[in-house]
Amino acid sequence: MTSQPNVTIRGPEVPNTPGSLDPVFTVEDLSVFYGDYEAVRNVDMLIGRREITAMIGPSGCGKSTVLRCFNRMNDLIPGAHIKGKILYHDENLYGDHVDPIEVRRRIGMVFQKPNPFPKAIYDNVAYGPRVNGIKRNMDDLVEEALTKAALWDEVKDKLKQNALSLSGGQQQRLCIARAIAVKPEVILMDEPCSALDPIATTKIEDLMQELRQEYTILIVTHNMQQAARVSDRTAFFTADVDSAGVRHGRLVEFDQTTRIFTKPSDKRTEDYITGRFG
Amino acid sequence: MAVLSTPKSAVELASKGRPLKEHLFRVALLSSLAIALIFLGMLLIYVLEEGWPRLSPTLWENMPSIRRPETAGIQSGIFGTLWIIGLTALMALPTGILAAVYLEEYADRTRWYNKVIELNISNLAAVPSIVYGILGLGIIARWLQFGFTVMTGAITVSLLVLPIVIISAREAIRAVPPSIREGSLALGATQWQTIWRQVLPASIPGIATGSILALSRAIGEAAPFLMLGAATLVRFNPEGVWSSFTVLPLQIYNFISQSREEFHVLAAAAIVILLAILLLMNSVAIWLRNRYQKRW
Repeated sequence: MTSQPNVTIRGPEVPNTPGSLDPVFTVEDLSVFYGDYEAVRNVDMLIGRREITAMIGPSGCGKSTVLRCFNRMNDLIPGAHIKGKILYHDENLYGDHVDPIEVRRRIGMVFQKPNPFPKAIYDNVAYGPRVNGIKRNMDDLVEEALTKAALWDEVKDKLKQNALSLSGGQQQRLCIARAIAVKPEVILMDEPCSALDPIATTKIEDLMQELRQEYTILIVTHNMQQAARVSDRTAFFTADVDSAGVRHGRLVEFDQTTRIFTKPSDKRTEDYITGRFG
Repeated sequence: MAVLSTPKSAVELASKGRPLKEHLFRVALLSSLAIALIFLGMLLIYVLEEGWPRLSPTLWENMPSIRRPETAGIQSGIFGTLWIIGLTALMALPTGILAAVYLEEYADRTRWYNKVIELNISNLAAVPSIVYGILGLGIIARWLQFGFTVMTGAITVSLLVLPIVIISAREAIRAVPPSIREGSLALGATQWQTIWRQVLPASIPGIATGSILALSRAIGEAAPFLMLGAATLVRFNPEGVWSSFTVLPLQIYNFISQSREEFHVLAAAAIVILLAILLLMNSVAIWLRNRYQKRW
C-alpha cells in the first residue's frame, strides 16, 4: 500500500507521559470472552479527554470488540463477558451497580453502516432525548445537534422528510447528530467511513476535528491514513494464534499517532503500517 | 444474442440443447400456475352461476329457514361470523404479537424450554382444526361451562389461529434489521423502548398482513364449530358474547345437506358472500402492507 513518507500525519502536541494525560477511560488488563472463547487478551489503554484515539489493525484482531466494551454493547451478545477493568473516570464500567443504559447515554456510538431510523430526520435526532425523558425545547436541541454535525444547512428545509432519503454520507452525519443530541461525553465510532465515498469521508473527518473540541472520540478504522490524519493516539491491535490454534486479539502498541507512524517500537506495527502485513 | 455471432469459427458457441431445457422448464412453471388459476376461476364461476338467482338483499336481510328456502337468508350466519372474528381478533392478536415479541427479543434461544416452545408452536400450527374443536368442547364449553356461546367459539378459534399469528409476527419482527435495535440501544433507550418505538412500528406491515391472513383462515373454518355443536339453525343474531350463534361455513354446510334443490342455490349464494368477505379482508391486508411500506 503506502510507505511511510506518503502518510500524512496529524501532529498535535499531545502529552506522551501517562501522568500528564487526563484519562476518561483507564483500561486495565482487559480480556473479552464470547462464551469460553477469549477474543481479546490483556489490553491496557488510557483514553485521553478530548482526544481522538484510533484503533487500527487487521481484520479479526478484536478492535471492534474492544470498542464495544466502552458502552457495554457487548452485553447484548449472549455469553459475552470481560475480565479486567475499564474505569470511566473513577468508576468501574462493569461494576455491579452500573446500569448499561446510563452508560450508553454518556457514551454514544456511531456504527459502520449508517443506520438512521426509518422516520423523519427531525425524529431521528429527537429520539435519544425523548427516550431519555429530556423535556427541553426539542426544536432547539435538534437544530443544535444537526449544526454540530455539520448537517443543518443541508436538511433545515426538509426536517420532516424520511431520513432514508438522505445520501450515505448525510445519513452518517445524521447518526452523529443523533448521538450528540443525547449530550454524551464520549463518541465511539466503529469504522464510520467504511461505507462512504472519499468526499463524504473527508466531511466526516473534518467533523471529527470539530467535535474533538468538546468530545472524547474513539475510532476504529481499517484505513491507516485515516488514523494518521485524524487521531492523537493510535492503538495497534493484531491477532496471535496460540499453541492450540486459537486466535486471540491483542494490543501490540499504543502511543502518540506521530510515534506509531514514524518510530514504531514494535516490528509488527512497523510491518503493518508500511503495508508488509495485513 | 446477436453480439455473440462473430467468433463462430474459433470457439464453439452453438447451443448444446440448453435453450430447449430452459424452455421446457418455463413451460412447466407456467402450467403449474395456470392449473391453480384455472381451478380457482372455475370454482368462482360455478359458484357465481349457481348462486346468482339468490344474490339479492333478501339473502342478508332474512334469517335462515328450513321450510322456505326461496326466502331464507343467512343474516344470523353473517353476524355470527363477524362476532367470532371480531372477538378472535381482540383475543388472538395481542396475545400472539406479544408472544412473538418475547420469542424474538427476549428469549434466550440456548435454553431448552425456549427450544421446546419454539418447536411446539410450529407443531400447533399444523394441528387439524377439528382437534381444537374437541379442546373447545371439552375444556371451554363443558369444564369452564361457557356453553355453546360466541365466547366459546371465539376462544377456540383464537387458539387455532394463535400459532399462525405468532409465526407470522415473528417473521415480521425478525425482518427488522438488527442495526435499528443497536442504534436505539446505543442512544440509551431501554429494550422495551426499542421494541415499542422502533421494532414494532417497523414490523407493522408484516404483522398486519399475517394477522389478517390468520383471521381469514378462521373465517373459513367449519370443523371446530361442528365439534362445538354450534346450532345448525339459528334464527337470531348474537346479542353478546354469551349468546348462541352460527357461522357462515356451518350455515352453508347445513344448506348443502338438505335435499331440496333450492337449498343448494342458497348455499352457493352464501359461499359467494363468504368469499366476498375473505377477499375484502385480504385486500385490506394488501392495502395496509402497501401503505406502510411507502414510508420506508
